[in-house]
This record gives sequence, structure tokens and C-alpha cells, in this order.
Amino acid sequence: MAATSASGGAGCFPRPPPSGGEHGFVLGVQEKKQDEEGQCFLDGMDLLKDATENKRFLPTGLQGVDALLGGGLRQGQLTEITGQSSSGKTQVCLCSASHVAARQLGVVMYLDTSNSFSPSRIARIVDGFPISLVREPKNVRLERVMSSIICKSVFDIFDLFEVLHQLELSLKSKVNNGGNKICLLIIDSISSILAPINGGKYPRGRSMMISVAMILKKLAYEHNLSVLVTNHMVAGNGAPKPALGESWKTVPHVRLVISRERGSKICAATVLKHTLLVFA
Amino acid sequence: MEIADLPIATSHRANLLAAGYSSLAALSAASPPRLARDLSIEVHEAEEILKVAVGANKSKGADGPSTSSVLKGAQNAWDMLSDEQSRRHINTGSADLNNILGGGIHCKEVTEIGGVPGVGKTQLGIQLAINVQIPVEYGGLGGKAVYIDTEGSFMVERVYQIAEGCISDILEYFPHCHDKAPAGQEKLKPESFLADIYYFRICSYTEQIAVINYLEKFLGEHKDVRIVIIDSVTFHFRQDFDDMALRTRVLSGLSLKLMKLSKAYNLAVVLLNQVTTKFTEGSFQLTLALGDSWSHSCTNRLILYWNGNERYGYLDKSPSLPVASAPYAVTIKGVRDAVNSNSKRVRVM
Repeated sequence: MAATSASGGAGCFPRPPPSGGEHGFVLGVQEKKQDEEGQCFLDGMDLLKDATENKRFLPTGLQGVDALLGGGLRQGQLTEITGQSSSGKTQVCLCSASHVAARQLGVVMYLDTSNSFSPSRIARIVDGFPISLVREPKNVRLERVMSSIICKSVFDIFDLFEVLHQLELSLKSKVNNGGNKICLLIIDSISSILAPINGGKYPRGRSMMISVAMILKKLAYEHNLSVLVTNHMVAGNGAPKPALGESWKTVPHVRLVISRERGSKICAATVLKHTLLVFA
Repeated sequence: MEIADLPIATSHRANLLAAGYSSLAALSAASPPRLARDLSIEVHEAEEILKVAVGANKSKGADGPSTSSVLKGAQNAWDMLSDEQSRRHINTGSADLNNILGGGIHCKEVTEIGGVPGVGKTQLGIQLAINVQIPVEYGGLGGKAVYIDTEGSFMVERVYQIAEGCISDILEYFPHCHDKAPAGQEKLKPESFLADIYYFRICSYTEQIAVINYLEKFLGEHKDVRIVIIDSVTFHFRQDFDDMALRTRVLSGLSLKLMKLSKAYNLAVVLLNQVTTKFTEGSFQLTLALGDSWSHSCTNRLILYWNGNERYGYLDKSPSLPVASAPYAVTIKGVRDAVNSNSKRVRVM
């Protein structure tokens, strides 16, 4: 599977819907289940077909990061970026959002918890794109790109549940619409929402964290969303480690650590965990 | 979306259909008490159902070309950009500092300012509390300030002095306004500047938590507040906290609340922080206090430091601006540009 998608960015352009697909596959896995009554499981070939047709790699726009991720942020998966404060996590998010929107892959939903969504930064990123991608004047492109990035501020866990619920409703009602489908969900950062309720004597906080994880993965799977979350680093024994502890560790499909030397412009990314790639 | 698809309890769905609510339109016309009576459920349950139904209706309406209605309260980046460009920033008093901060302290963002004792954190805090009040016709925001003082370093005589300095600079800069705007003159008195600073003196961390919780109500009643300054956010949390994990939780809760306030009431939040030493890679280095998790909880971070005999500001974190540093000075009038300096000296690192 990795081989088919290793072509990277080229595989990420919107494909025309398959002509007269047998099972209406373009509508996602969920539809298929209902079409064929009595059959509520998928075999390996179905999965492979779904993976190659619906689970595209969305480019982050950063060549190095895309290469590390085997092509980009995969739809249907949850990718986590973690790093120290001011290591460039938000920049990766803003950059991915603008690239995905610029290539007309779909709508980007950006949930912002730390007032760090910066429209002017996105405008500058978009302005720097080569114009050859789509032939249109820069200001038209800017408006088009920025209109397909939707931002919402979220400040506590209950807000987050509410927003995800609404999102699910609107995704469900849009299944047959096809048009401007949301393809990338960014939460920057998930840990600042989870930190106040996590740990100590509150087991409820932990279970809320796990339900957020479940909802995110469900959305990703059923609606072919690529979910990108950012996480903090906390001081561990010796070296800093990603926050949110052991039970969160199993949640993301891909974990990426980024770091930046103080006073330097260069950020370095390291893969901690990846479900597709093998590291020798 | 049909009644059968509504994400509510199965029994409620069945009851709705049995009571004759066959479409969302019929449901949205019902009032909570009536629905409660028809379904023989509690009123608050009926309210919940109606809320869900309204939400479902909304998302149905979103099928059109406008994508921003996918989510209630969400905005697309294009609208946010024009909103951001029309916003004014709070002058720090020093043009060089404004430069590296992208025009000054931004509203709707949380800015952390840290530095060693005596470098001018409180001075900058007071300066911002004064500068936010510069009337709109003189290029300011004409807002009010909330000053939360935990250390007792808010010297009112000094505030008066800075206000006088600010007024004399305004009059120097706008000499022509001097005579023709007598109404504006009324406002340009140090007394009225002082009167528009709401001051809270905090003596323990419990009070600090309480006052931040109270701020929501306070700001609802005082909509013209444009800046909240906490000087310093650190002090009490450094003194009497034993349980570090609890401290992290409380602080991250506080920072989320402040984020929310700054967004909801369109104001700038400025948090002053102390420094501490940290042992990394074999040497002790100065970092801001309150630990690694706290360092994530601001939008921008400005670090003030001494470079020889000059004071410098260093923008350490910002989602939209490059890392940069610039000199500034603390004078009798308040925070100003360093002498002999101009914007050419701003070093972008």
C-alpha cells in the first residue's frame, strides 16, 4: 500500500469520480454497508480499494515532512505533531491548511485553542506559492484559498464535544452532496484543552480524553478526514517527552516530533511512530 | 435529515413520531413546554431535543455554496483576514518594539512578557495600561484597562508620571489638534487616564483564580476594556504550591479562560512572568518560570533582557511574525525608543 502512494504529491490531486462505480464507493465505506443488505463486513480487497481510492495523502507543503510521512497527512488517519513551545507546530498546521486548500482538495476545518490561527500568516504563505499550479490571478486565488479554510475557537472540552458533534451532523448531511467536503481537520492544540482535566484524582478527565480520541478516529474513518492534532512536550525523566501520557500514546496513527534550535530558523522533524512505514 | 436520523435517545425519537412530529419543520415550530407536554418528558429534555433539531436544520441549510455555516460560530479565513487588517494594535511606546511585534500588542491574543527583575516588565505593563487609552482620534484604541497586581509593584505616582508623559507626547505629535478640539482636551488629563484603569490587588493564588473567573462577568459589564494585564501571573504560584501536577492543571485551565476572554471581548491579555534557571545540556540557562507546559499557553512571547547596558526585547514566539529583537529604553516618560536608535537596528534573527 505504501508503494502505491509513495509517488507523493502527485497522487494528491483530485481524481474524477469512478465511472459508474459498482458500489458507489466514492461515498465512503459507510454507504456500502447499507447498499448490500445483510453484508456488514468488508473483505481485504474492499479495504484495499477503499484505501487506494479514498485515503489520499494530503500534502503538508513541506517536502521534508511529506517525505517522512510517506506522502503527507493520510485521510482516515490521525496524525500528531508534538514539540516544544515555539518549535513550529502551528506553522506546520497553517502551512498544511493553506496547501490543502490551494490544491482544491477540499475544505479545511481549523479548531484553534490558543488564539494562534493567524490569517495574515496564511495570506503570506499562499502569496508565496508558485502561480503555475492553477491559472488564476493572485488575489482571486487568495480569496478562494482563504474561503475554504474555516476556523473556530474552542476553549474547553465541552465546546470540543459540541463542535465535533455538529461537524459529524453536517458531514453526514453532506455525504450525498460531494461538493465542498471537509477533508482536513486540524486541532491546534489538543493538549491545551486536555491538560486542565487530565491527571490527578480525576478519572473522568481520562475517559473524556479517550472519547475525544474515539470520536476523532471515527470521523476520520467514516468521512475520509485527515485529522491533524498538535501536542505539547513536558519534562520527563531526563529528556522532554510528548504530553498526555501513556493512554494517548496509542491513539495517533502517526506521531511526529519537531524541534528547533533557539535562535535558528531550521526545524527538524523526527517520526516517533508510523503505522505504514518501516524503519530499518 | 429526518426525525428518525436525529441524534437523540431512541425512546424520544419513537415518542416524537408517535406524537405526530413527522418532520423537522413541525418540530422546529414547537415550543419546549408544549413538546414536553406532548411527549410527557421534562422541559429541559424537550429543550435539548429542540436544540438538536435546530442544529440539524442549520446544517441542512449549509448545503448551499456558503461553507462557513458548516459550524455555528465558525468563520472562514478570508473574513478573518479582513477583520484582522482593520484592527488597531496597542502601542508599546517604543517604535522598535512595535516593529518586531507587528504594530504593537494585538487584541484577541495572549501575550506573555518575561524578564529578569528590573528590566522593565512592570514599566511596560503600566505603559500599556496608559497607551490603550489614547483616544481614537489620536491613533489609539480609546479603551480601558484592567490591571491585576499580584506583587504590589503598581506605583500610582509612577503611573501618573507615565500618563503625563503620554499626554505630552500626544500634544507634541498632534499640535494642530491642540486648539480645535476642546472636547478631546477634556479626556487628555492624567486624572482621567488613571480613572480608567481598573485595579485588582491579589494576595493569594486563590484570589487570583477567583478574580480571573470573575473577569468574565466584569468584562461583560465593561465592554470598553481593551487590555487585561496580570503582573505577574507567577508570583503566588511560585510561593505556596506543593503539588506541581495540580499547579499545571490549574494554570492551563486559567490560560484557556484568558484565551477565551481575549477572543470573546476583543481585548489583549498581557501576562508578565518571572524568570528561573533551568539546567539543560550541562549548563544553567535562564528561562521563564512556571515550566514547560505553561510555555505553550500564550500566543506570543516577548522576552526582555539586558545586553550590556541596553534593554532589549526579543520576540520568542509568534504564529505570524519572525523571531526578532530590538532595543528599548525606560525613561521618565515611560517606555520609549533607545537613544540613537532607529528601526534600521532591528535585527531579524
